[in-house]
Amino acid sequence: MNDPLDNLLDARLRDETPYIDDAGFTARVMKQLPHRRASWSTQRAFIIFAATILSVVIAYFASGQGMFVHDAFARVSGLRPLQLLLLIFACGTGMTIAGLWAALARTRDTTL
Amino acid sequence: MELTDADLLARVIVDGDQHAFGELVRRHQSPVRGLLRQLVRADVELADDLAQETFIRAYRNIRSFRGEAKFSTWLYRIAYNVFRENARKRKELVGIDENQLQAEVDPQTTDPGLRHDLMNALANLPLHERTAVTLCCQNGLSHDEAARLLDIPLGTVKTNVLRGREKLKKMLAAWAT
Repeated sequence: MNDPLDNLLDARLRDETPYIDDAGFTARVMKQLPHRRASWSTQRAFIIFAATILSVVIAYFASGQGMFVHDAFARVSGLRPLQLLLLIFACGTGMTIAGLWAALARTRDTTL
Repeated sequence: MELTDADLLARVIVDGDQHAFGELVRRHQSPVRGLLRQLVRADVELADDLAQETFIRAYRNIRSFRGEAKFSTWLYRIAYNVFRENARKRKELVGIDENQLQAEVDPQTTDPGLRHDLMNALANLPLHERTAVTLCCQNGLSHDEAARLLDIPLGTVKTNVLRGREKLKKMLAAWAT
């Protein structure tokens, strides 16, 4: 049984919660937040890029100025078709697994 | 398309996006400030100071938000904790019996001429009843959510809501006549 006074009280309690204008409140909060550091994803991208460039430079000079690329092409061109197919399949599978792992790791980061 | 609270939270947590946090503050500032105004009995300046502290604390601890409850419920919990810490500092009579609390009430609020003011009536309730009624009847929390937020048994919340409402109904009945 609905008590009319209960309904009146509920209505009055809901009505008595007017919206409070922001009136600069959010700005005051934002001023007090700690200074924003560079986001970790930006730092991470920079570190990976720098490490890649450094690795390429080291590999270039350590391998007799890129001769390893010539050697690699020579070896690959000497493979039989089945061996070449298996190599391509293994590389593709490895990249797919790495990509899936990265995507799942990112999903874990953003799941609340 | 407006971003949901979850989208904004993801941006704050993953990218440290303070603009996203600002949008969250804009969305939730009114109910948080309203809750604190009820708790501190309409001391607007104090309520806003506590509300600022609430959001700053929320930003610092944003990674501890697990998404098990609504973001607003999590904010209310922080707000309530901030209020309690401040009350202890100001030697507020928290959780004390009704007689002592009534002794603290400004005589002006008991003026029969103001009986029709529901907010004054709410301010006259003991803290535990006022908190329960505000959270459940004004802020729309379930009894279960309020119990977890206040860290008290569910039965206690229900009792506080019931008693608070009974007292308010008595005042309303008097106004209605």
